[in-house]
Amino acid sequence: MSSLTPDPVRGAGFAAGRTAAAAARLVADVARASSDSWADAIGVVAQANAFADRLEVLAEADADVFAAALVALATPSAELEPHMQRAAALPLEIAEASSDVASLAALVAERCDGLVRADAAGAAALAAGAAAAAAHLVRANLTVKPDDPRLRTALRAADDARYAASRALEAGI
Amino acid sequence: MASEEELVARCLAGEQDAWNDLVRSYSRYVFAICSQGYRLQGADAEDAFQDVFVRVYGRLGTLRNPEALRPWIAQLTRRVCLDRIAAGKREEPSDAEPAGIEITVDELDEAFAVREALEELPEECREVLDRFFCRDESYRTIGEELGIPSGTIASRISRCLGRLRQRLEA
Repeated sequence: MSSLTPDPVRGAGFAAGRTAAAAARLVADVARASSDSWADAIGVVAQANAFADRLEVLAEADADVFAAALVALATPSAELEPHMQRAAALPLEIAEASSDVASLAALVAERCDGLVRADAAGAAALAAGAAAAAAHLVRANLTVKPDDPRLRTALRAADDARYAASRALEAGI
Repeated sequence: MASEEELVARCLAGEQDAWNDLVRSYSRYVFAICSQGYRLQGADAEDAFQDVFVRVYGRLGTLRNPEALRPWIAQLTRRVCLDRIAAGKREEPSDAEPAGIEITVDELDEAFAVREALEELPEECREVLDRFFCRDESYRTIGEELGIPSGTIASRISRCLGRLRQRLEA
């Protein structure tokens, strides 16, 4: 019977969170590999792992909230507003944390051992993609209007992430 | 901050301020072992907490190595918690520790050591580490709140972590 039950839809917020978490783990690995020649590397490892932990939790929470929102949307009598508010809040947090991962990855790309620089640049690009996806989810949310401060924050996070990724990719050449 | 050895000596000399310092320094630690390690709740946790400090007061003179004050208090606390659990469930042996208690006490020890080391750091380091690791604030928020460029936050956190590490290893 289980094969007849559709898999739960987890959505792009979950994927963005997991992607940024994976990028953060990669940043930690690259920084750790550079710790012989870079005094601040261990502190960067700690920050990157903190981001990864945070984003993994956010991704799971987003999947739960998204599933609940889908149920509410399919239920005529359901009150949608609280579900939609929650469904906007989590992608916003994911966008901001992803942006910070991209920023940290750019720092690592500029300071790390040359052998692993391209990996740091790749992590920045992944995190920037996650930030852009999460920001788009905030924009697509039914409760978010064009002048909503949440949307401004999300788009700014995505812009910051894109800029950080371009820095990292330049450093990685 | 006085060393543990000085604190113990002052307590044994009968200085009330020293006892107050000791209770203040260890109250959260003891309560955390009672509530998180042994899952004592409400009145049970409060009674265990009181018992621990009564025993500390009565037995501090038997502590052979004053620098081992923390593990000694941890051991006393564990004994008190086990006694309380045994009193509540007479059929169970009193030495049956909850699964994972070693990990919990070790984690608490580590957390309290970090907290003490944090208190020795300059205010700007304490603030930035607290905002990042405890409040999960973004680099931008930290930068805006502290009036420093957000692009420098990651490096600042790393430097502060380095100083924290030096304190912990000292």
